[in-house]
This record gives sequence, C-alpha cells and structure tokens, in this order.
Amino acid sequence: MENTYEITLKIRRYDPDNERTWVQDYTLEAGRILRFTDVFRKINNEIDPSLAWNSSCEHAQCGTCAVKVNGKPLLACELLVENAVSHFGTTVFEVGPITVAPVVRDLIVDFEQAYERVNKVKPYIIEPAQNPNPGNEYQIDPRDLDYYVEATRCVNCFCCAEACISSHKGFLGPNAVMASIVRLMDPREQARDERLELLYSEEGIYRCHTSMACSFVCPKEIDVAHFIALAKAGKFKQETKK
Amino acid sequence: MANKFQINSTEHCDVLIIGGGGAGLRCAVEILEKRPGTKVVAVTKVAHVQKSHTTTAQGGLAAVCPEDPIDKPIYHMFDTWKGSDCAADQNIIKKIVESAWDQIVWLENHGMHFSRDEKGSLSKRTFGGHTLNFGEASAFRAVFEADRTGKGIIDTLWGEALRGGISFINQSIAVELIFREERCTGAVIFKQKEGKFVNVLAKATILAMGGSGQLFKVTTNCRQNTGDGLALILQAGLPIMDAEAVQFHPTGIVGPGILASETLRSVGGILRNRDLEPFMERYAPKMKELAPRDLVARAIETEVREGRGVLNPDHNIEHVWIDLRHLSDYVHDVQIPEVTGFFKKFVNIDPKKDLCPVRPSVHYHMGGIPTNEFGEVQKDVQGLISGLFAVGECAAASFHGFNRLGTNSILELITMGKFAGEKAIGTLDGDFSEPPGDAGEMTFSLFSKFFDGTGKENIGQIRQEMQTIMTEKVGIFRKENSLTEAIEALKALKDRTENISLSNKSLIMNQELMQRWELETLLAVSMVCAQGARNRKESRGGHFREDFPERKDEFNYHTLAHMTEFGKVTLGERPVDMSIYEARDENYEKFAVIERKY
Repeated sequence: MENTYEITLKIRRYDPDNERTWVQDYTLEAGRILRFTDVFRKINNEIDPSLAWNSSCEHAQCGTCAVKVNGKPLLACELLVENAVSHFGTTVFEVGPITVAPVVRDLIVDFEQAYERVNKVKPYIIEPAQNPNPGNEYQIDPRDLDYYVEATRCVNCFCCAEACISSHKGFLGPNAVMASIVRLMDPREQARDERLELLYSEEGIYRCHTSMACSFVCPKEIDVAHFIALAKAGKFKQETKK
Repeated sequence: MANKFQINSTEHCDVLIIGGGGAGLRCAVEILEKRPGTKVVAVTKVAHVQKSHTTTAQGGLAAVCPEDPIDKPIYHMFDTWKGSDCAADQNIIKKIVESAWDQIVWLENHGMHFSRDEKGSLSKRTFGGHTLNFGEASAFRAVFEADRTGKGIIDTLWGEALRGGISFINQSIAVELIFREERCTGAVIFKQKEGKFVNVLAKATILAMGGSGQLFKVTTNCRQNTGDGLALILQAGLPIMDAEAVQFHPTGIVGPGILASETLRSVGGILRNRDLEPFMERYAPKMKELAPRDLVARAIETEVREGRGVLNPDHNIEHVWIDLRHLSDYVHDVQIPEVTGFFKKFVNIDPKKDLCPVRPSVHYHMGGIPTNEFGEVQKDVQGLISGLFAVGECAAASFHGFNRLGTNSILELITMGKFAGEKAIGTLDGDFSEPPGDAGEMTFSLFSKFFDGTGKENIGQIRQEMQTIMTEKVGIFRKENSLTEAIEALKALKDRTENISLSNKSLIMNQELMQRWELETLLAVSMVCAQGARNRKESRGGHFREDFPERKDEFNYHTLAHMTEFGKVTLGERPVDMSIYEARDENYEKFAVIERKY
C-alpha cells in the first residue's frame, strides 16, 4: 500500500469579478486517507489560498461539499485519496462544481437556487391529519415508518439531481419529488390531493426516464428510484396508507 | 481604501435571527406560529439552514414523559445538576426539564420522524449520566430519530419556518451589532455571495450562532463553528460567560473528528497505545474502558503526551488505538454498524481486522453569551441589553454548567429557542429604528486592514498553530505556566496577523477573506478561554487543572469576561442559581453543592 500519492487536481474555476472560467492544475503529495475536502484545504494552506470550495459537517451529513469528480457527482468529504485512485484508476482528477445551480465562485454553487425545487414540493406537513390522541404524539406503527424512513435520510446534496438525465430539463428532480413522496407515505399528512397534483404535473415524475442514476450516485445510498417508481405505479392514488 | 466599502442597503424586519440551526429556527417558528405575519429574517453562515451543525447531532433528546411510571422530571434535573459539576443554574434546569416533553410532542406533531416502539409511540433509550431515583439505575429518557436526531429537528423546523414565511439570507455573516441608545436594533450583515454589506434593522435580534470547536485541532464541530457569536459580543464590549468550559469527547475518529461513540467501549473495545498495551488498566484498574468520559480522555492524552501515541502522517495527529478486532461479527454488524461504517468510510480500515485510530475530540462549548431564562442577553450580573437575545450553543443560560450531559444539548436548543421566541414577541410593537450614522464603520476599518495587509504570513498556517496551542495548553490538561505560555503565544500569533496579505481582493464569495475574518474571531475567543482557564484555579467538569485537581467552593460561580482590546481581559463573576435547593421542597438536599462521582 502506498503511503502518499502524487495527485493532480484539474479544478474548474470561475471568477465572478471578471466572469472568467478556466481549469487550474494543482499537483500535490497527498496522504492516502486524506479526504478531498482535506486536499482542498491543503491546497489553500500550501499552494493557493484563493481556491474557493464549500463544506460544513465534513462527514456526509449535510451535503454541502457536493462536487463532480471525473464526471461523477459525490461528496468531497467522503472521497479518500486512495479510494479515488482505485475507483477512477488514475491519479489525475477533473474536479468541477455541480451544475444544478449557478456557480458563485470556483466549486461553490448557489444552493439557495437549487433548493427552490425542494421548496416547491412544500417539505412539511401541509395539512395535519386529526390526531386521535390530542396533546400526545401521533401513533405510527414502526412497520409503516419502515416503508419510508429511508427516504427521510436525504440530505439534499443534489448529487441525484446532478446525475439525473431529466432534472436539467423541467423535472423537479429526484430529491425534491422524494421529499413530497415522504409526506404522501406519512400518515400525519392530509393534503394528499395537492401533493399528487404536483407529483403528476408537468414538472413531476413522468419527466423521469427511470435511468436510476439517482439511486446509483446517492451518497446516503438511498434507493431514490424505488420511491419514484412507487409513485409512477400509482401506489399513492388508491391507498390512504403505504 | 476605506471608501471601497459601503452599506449597500438597509432592510427592516421585526425579528432578525443570526444563525439558522436548531435554536434559531425553533425561535423563528415560535414567533411565526404565535404571531403570524411577523417579518422574520434568518441569516445563516452556511449554504442553507439544512447544512447547520445541529444536523450532525446523533443520539437523542432527553425528556421525561409525564405518563412514565418510573421516571420523573426531578431525576432529570438532578442528573443535569450533578453532571454540570454544580455549575448550572437551577432555575434554567427546572424550566427546561419541565417543558421538555411538551416540546418533543410539538416536534412530533409538526412532522419529525421519531423512531417508534412496537405500540407506535416514541422509542426511548438510555444515555450516560441519565438515571432514575437520583443515580440508582439507568433511565430510558432519550427519544431519538435513529442516529440522526439533529437532522430530524432541522428538517422539521426548516419546513415550518418556510410555511410561516420566513426570509433566509444564506451564506452570510453578522459582522457588527447595531445599537441605538443602549438597545440592540439589528446588525450589519455581510452577504458573501453578493459581496455586499447590508444593515438589517430589527425590533428584536436573536443570536443563535453556534459553537467554537474550530478553536482546537480535533473537533466534532462543523467547519463554520468558529465562535463568531462570542466574538461579536466581545466586539460590542459585552461579556461572555464560562469561556473556559469546553467539553472533550474521549474518542474522536482521527481525520474527520467524528465521534466514535461510547458504545464501542461498552461492547468491549480496548484502548491501546503505541506498544499495544491496554493502558486503561493503569488509570482505572476496575472500570478500565468504562471509566467516565473525562477520565478516559485524560488517560489517552497522557499516553500521547508521554510519547506512547502513534502519529497519523496524513492528518499529522497523534492518537491511540481502539481495538475492536476481538469482538464477534454479531457485535460489529448489529451493535456498532454506524461507527464501524465511519471507520471504513473515513479511515479506510476494517475494524474487524484493523486497529482504529482515536483521539479526544472537542465536542461542545458549555460557555457562551450570558442570558437569563428567556434568552435575554445580560450586560452584567443584573442588567440586560434590550432587544438582544442569545440561544443555542453560543449562549449560556446556563443549563450545562461545566459539563454537558449527552442528549441535553438539542433539548436546550428547542426549549430555549421557544422561550426566547415567546419573549421576543412581546417586544415587537413600536416603530422601526433608524440606523446610527456610524453603523458599519468599525467593520469597514477592519476589512480595510485585511485588504491593505502586506507580508508573507499564511492564514491557514496561523490558524493551525493556534489550534495546536489550544489543544496542547488549553485542552484536556491545563496548568498555570502552560496557560501563561498559551496566552503569550496567542498574542504573538495576533501580531503575525498584521503580516497577512490577501491574494484575492474581491468581496464576492472570497473564501480567503472569510478565513481572515474568522481568524480574528478564533483568536479573540481563544484568548478569553485561556485567560478564564488560568484564573479558575480548580478543576470542574471539562476544565481540568493539573496543578489544582480538585473542585473548590470558592469558585462556585460563573466567569464573566470582557475583552476591550486583544489580550486585555477583565474577569468578573455571576452567581450560580440555586433556587431548587433554596426552595426547600421535597428532595431539595440533592441540589446542594454535591460531589460529582459516578
């Protein structure tokens, strides 16, 4: 096993002051278990403090550091140098911002605009169902919860929307529709018609071509396509539960 | 150069919330729900509120269900008091604990996906330090959403805030508080994406700016947790409280700093040093790996300090090992899958076959902006700053004293957030204030200094040196001479910041500029933390002095610290509230100044 690797990052940069885009090469020695966020930090500290990149938790729980590496959308905090070398079979990596939202600078995109898609599906209970036991928690059978709990793990990193072959063409995108599907499966939600209307609208699930790229790239390993498939199969039309 | 900067616009709102984590959003939702139509603006440093540090909270929320046949709120209060090493305020403990269950139900009713038991009610689990009958047995008191309770809270509150019509200003920082006749009337906000300064004027301003884990080398905290709220308060000439009270978790995973939970030790994980010696036998012959957090953390640090640690070359961090290789596949696959997953993902090792690197990780700042039970910011022991509130980790009411119990932090967010919201509603009548003419000037001169700086110093380098000083001298072990050395070293670092030049002189999304600004806040908070620690010649909770290893009654108070110019710290005291004890009700004697022994 190598102790360090000499890697080259070809980073797509954007300077908003001069509206200039270019690719800059950074070659550096990187320890095998450095994550790509660590590598970006190392570039800042040792080579170029001006390189801009975004992150927050740096352990795959917030989705801020989503970037494209050799074309694949992923979380930079999860990509270890030695895994990148073996996964892509190279020590040269093209790194660029995700494209579901405009770039602000270098690898930083305007997440606020990406989130507009999620806001559209109303990521909350629109109309709460009557609680049979007011003043207490609504009882939810754990087996019912099991049907949709996976989908609640989504951190909105937008890797799925980036990989989706339809989300750049009028589709709300996998993570946004999944957020709505969660509430359709949640017995506490009553506004089912409103949710179904959006799901089957022009921007809705029929834009999906079932490439299943969403499930393939999801850093949280959520089977996003499964939830979309349930909606396509009309699962939520007939039933009030599950 | 100063004319390069200007206030680009002035916005008015009813409530300005600075920080969009659990506490800030809970406060926002309280206001929007109780007073629909209120104009609430929330500023967040991250790309979107869903990226806040609260999202990383795993374990759960402590709360006693009123229908619980054996658990009682008084036990939860006792555990919190004892855990705090008798330095929390009893009026705050009582208020938070008594409202806890209602707040859990509120979250559930608003759509949080809590884990359920067989009957469909909220599942509960045990957590360290939470007991029944004043320490007799473990209490099942923590409700949770799998291993992502904090994310459940944020998702729920973000949705509710959207529904209520909140406005977000993302990827932005508060650089200066605005005051008019002793009243806080908003803040100067720097919007990074646009590279613009704006005045946001408000009838109530709420600071919910999070913790300060980035003061140290290894931390569980997010990248943005640089103590901004504390620095903002110091800059305004106001005090911060108990800055020296920092919690270290014994086992952070080397690299990302994420917690390798206590469970690893409770299922039989063995701590080993460079020579693979199971060293806990020397520190706690009976309890070994199951000794309390602070003891385990000190044992690990001693091993590292005495040269029996192992250096991870990639992260340049010395560590010890936790050995899980002897545990059965069942334990690995069923009892500790999440944590073993972290080792696989972030260290690329298989805990079934390999030793796992761990080092104590800075987890939580008990200290913060001093407030009363409504989150109103105090200017001294008696007086309040009107129009200004503080909640969450940046604040200290104080619910945690000198040591926080697991599952009490996110409980504090949702309760204190609500209380501050309720209180703020009462302050919203009346006219909008106009900004004083000099709003922003302090900031512009600071930013001019950043832009005009010349020299070869590197921001990241100074920051790393600061983190090393704080870790080695103001960390798990503290003593007089090393604290003095740390204070001098921090001053030297501050001097070196004069020789930083920015390679990028843009205002738009300039990460280098942001890190330059953060360096000021980090150094300011470090300095106050180090001076508070030097002054407190005793050991209490997370604050351990090798030269004064026992707790002393003469230090039964909170430290209030002002810093008028860098390094010039003046220290005062705020008494610890003992109102449960003084009320002389049933079991009051449990709330005396008691020993913290488990």
